[in-house]
Amino acid sequence: MKKIAENEVVQVRTNVNGRAVSFATQARVSLADSLRYEVGLTGTKVGCEHGVCGACTILVDGQPMRSCLMLGVQAEGREIQTVEGLAIGLKLHPLQESFKRHHALQCGFCSAGMLATALALVRENPAPTRAEVRDAISGNLCRCTGYETIVDAICDPAVAEFARNEKSNG
Amino acid sequence: MDKSEVVELQPRSIGQSVPRKEDATILSGRAQYIADIILPDMRHAAFLRSPFAHAKITHIDTHAAAAVSGVDLVWTGANVGELTAGITAGLQVDDYVATTQPAMADHEVRYVGETVAVVIAESRRVAEDALELIDVDYEELPSVNNIEESSAAEHLANDGVPNNVIYRHVRSADNLEPTFEKAAHVLSAVFYNNRVSASPIETRGCVAHHEWTNNLLKLWSATQMPGYLRTMLAMFLAIPEHTIEVVTPQVGGGFGQKAHVHPEELVVCLVARKLGRPVSWIEDRQENLLAGTHAKHQVNETQLAVDEQGKFLALKNYVSTDSGAYNCLPWTASVEGKVGVTTMTGVYKIPQANLESVELTTSKCPIGAYRGVGWTAGQIAREALIDLAARKLQLSPFEIRRRNIIRADDFPYTTASGMVIREGSFAQTLDRLESMVDFATFRERQTKARSEGRYIGLGLSLFNEITGFGTRAFSAIGTPITSHDTSTVRMDPTGTVTVTTSFVAAGQGHSTTFAQVAADALGVPLEKVVVRSGSTANTYGLGTFASRAAVIGTGSIARAAEMVRVKIRQIAGHMLEASPADIVLENDQVHVTGVPSRTMSMADVAGAIYFAESTHPENFDPTLEATATFDPGDSVLANGGHAALVEVDIETGIVKVEKFYAVEDCGQMINPMIVEGQIRGGIAQAIGSTLLEELVHDENSQLMTTTFMDYLLPTASDVPDIVIEHLETPSDLVPGGIKGMGESAMISAPAAVVGAVNDALASLGVFITQYPISPERVFRALENRDD
Repeated sequence: MKKIAENEVVQVRTNVNGRAVSFATQARVSLADSLRYEVGLTGTKVGCEHGVCGACTILVDGQPMRSCLMLGVQAEGREIQTVEGLAIGLKLHPLQESFKRHHALQCGFCSAGMLATALALVRENPAPTRAEVRDAISGNLCRCTGYETIVDAICDPAVAEFARNEKSNG
Repeated sequence: MDKSEVVELQPRSIGQSVPRKEDATILSGRAQYIADIILPDMRHAAFLRSPFAHAKITHIDTHAAAAVSGVDLVWTGANVGELTAGITAGLQVDDYVATTQPAMADHEVRYVGETVAVVIAESRRVAEDALELIDVDYEELPSVNNIEESSAAEHLANDGVPNNVIYRHVRSADNLEPTFEKAAHVLSAVFYNNRVSASPIETRGCVAHHEWTNNLLKLWSATQMPGYLRTMLAMFLAIPEHTIEVVTPQVGGGFGQKAHVHPEELVVCLVARKLGRPVSWIEDRQENLLAGTHAKHQVNETQLAVDEQGKFLALKNYVSTDSGAYNCLPWTASVEGKVGVTTMTGVYKIPQANLESVELTTSKCPIGAYRGVGWTAGQIAREALIDLAARKLQLSPFEIRRRNIIRADDFPYTTASGMVIREGSFAQTLDRLESMVDFATFRERQTKARSEGRYIGLGLSLFNEITGFGTRAFSAIGTPITSHDTSTVRMDPTGTVTVTTSFVAAGQGHSTTFAQVAADALGVPLEKVVVRSGSTANTYGLGTFASRAAVIGTGSIARAAEMVRVKIRQIAGHMLEASPADIVLENDQVHVTGVPSRTMSMADVAGAIYFAESTHPENFDPTLEATATFDPGDSVLANGGHAALVEVDIETGIVKVEKFYAVEDCGQMINPMIVEGQIRGGIAQAIGSTLLEELVHDENSQLMTTTFMDYLLPTASDVPDIVIEHLETPSDLVPGGIKGMGESAMISAPAAVVGAVNDALASLGVFITQYPISPERVFRALENRDD
């Protein structure tokens, strides 16, 4: 592994939301900060910087990851999806639509991370039980909703249908 | 027109669970929160905070920090102190001890986390590097660590507060001794409520930009009170108020913590002015837990006297608040205790009371507002003693309450603490909750569970809530504040409607609910209304707190809309050759009452007012814009109740909340979906504050819980599905019959959780009075019980 000096600026080549992206960063900068301040995608939120609240959750190679616990340099060669990459053209993603329909957000600060966790879950398990959803999102803190409507949104049949179609279309 | 006038507001869109207008922007990641405000040439602030609870600062050396490459400025309290004396906060009542908190500590620090220096640099990380190079010499002073030490006053937490007493208040001083002597039972307990943090997932933060060429200061702040903040900046920084604009972006939760003027906001404005460049301060979680205001830390010494039939005879409560070192602004240390004693008798007929509060300084972060302000801890104490009385008398928790609630034929009922209760559906709430929880079979299920070694319990709590705090309500709780929030309603030339309001949102959905109100007030469809808020360049007001926005927002929008309606009626009457009084606005049309064929589109009427003088009656003033305030004629009282069903594992001490039930009567609901969201979110916080959350200090007032790994917020595994039912008793004080409700679940649901745990463990002789009810506290309670 290449050794990087303390204040050395590193050029990172990665893919964010389906586009090739290159950004310059220092080794100590978290991926959350790189995305927000070096790539300019501020939809990823930072709530605790200890990997507890889950607000900064993004998908890295399809897996939900705490972007505050990864470094920007670790994005090299990865496929990253942030909340900005969720909408399809100028239309909300079915999961986002479901969150809206079920009032699964209030202040919305946890939503980006919640959506990332939920998307990874339904891609794996298109029709999870409520208990499975609660388990999956138990690492994402929400201070506004009491979680029930988030569970409703993820369990919505329209989300399951989307996830199944996505799966069968590979 | 009187500021309390209840103008006509026919619910059409009001009452519908319309989806929120703000959601697409938030869900797509495109909403701008405070940390997303990134300006050209912007610098970043980081604060050095005191590691000691109480110490003298004998020396600070900032040279090494200032020399770090990328650092623009390092300031200490001495620099800041030249420009501002800090934040003075007190109540406008006799003998109140106001405090002045320096914007940054200078000679002395009075709690862990108080700021002592600030570094401004090209990035937050460079600023934090520089902080480590600041050399501070402290000489420790004795800290005042709890209520007992504060009362003893051997040492002062803040030498501006004699005897550590900020305020002592006797709300009700009935002589209870004869009553206590003749009572069948007097239930007594001391309740220790935990110090908690509102913990919005977005921490506090602000961005200041002072344009030196024209002397305009713009402060973006994640605040619930932009108007008030602007006035206080003007006062404390001696900056002319008209040169300040405070902008509230999207806010990631407030819950009261963001309804204060924070010392950091003053400092950020001053350094931005000094540098002539924008400065951003976004606190991290540790700072938020250290120095964002804390809440609800109090001890209630409570006694309830009952007769043989379970009738309440008298209530005694002495509440001491562990207030921290300063008064917060604007609420002061009296935010909870003093407010709490005004409503301590709740929804019950309790003929006599002795109610006293005292706010005591300690060497901790100041106590401030957090949802359920004033009522949470007292509600736990009262409801817990009611349950004890029920147990003694072998009455059900429903029956004992039924025998004591204030009923419709008692209205207006004056409580022993002098509150006048003129409305409330307490009896219906109680009946509804009893059937929702199926209490008839609950005791059987409980007995059966016990035979299997399982401990389930049911807890119950009834409440009423002063909502829509205006001048009358503030006065009723002994906190003299004049309410003055405004909204502006404008009908545009094409018949669409633009509302600007001083009420900012932190997740409450005002862009939707206020649009529903304006749409109904003017008879236009919802999609033709836009709500703009969040800048003091628009309307002015106190802010969003204390379940105010629904009531005062609705009232002010409806009153302003009425002024616009008058104009529309005038011109439409002229054009349709009818009396203005006979003009009806509905379905985006204007027509003559009873003659739907004599009609015009709203757009045509609006267009005529702006562009066609020939259609105007004589002396017509073509203004389709009006600004109004609203100040309810009396306290607007909402009410409801909560029931919790828990199971306690007596091996592990873990309490699992299995089910939750809520009945809410907030009058006519504007948007039931949003009302239910507020209830669910409040109940989650109630579960957190009673079972999980605690800011723990060591014996030197050092905070031990500085991350979310130690300060435990409820997760999706801790909060059950919640059954909600509504009663809708319209308010006659508010247009549309609307009442507020945002605080309600954090007023009452904590008492239901506590009641449920104590019910589950009652057969073991356990009654827990120290919160949160952690596994350790359950374990110790079981160990220490009287067998």
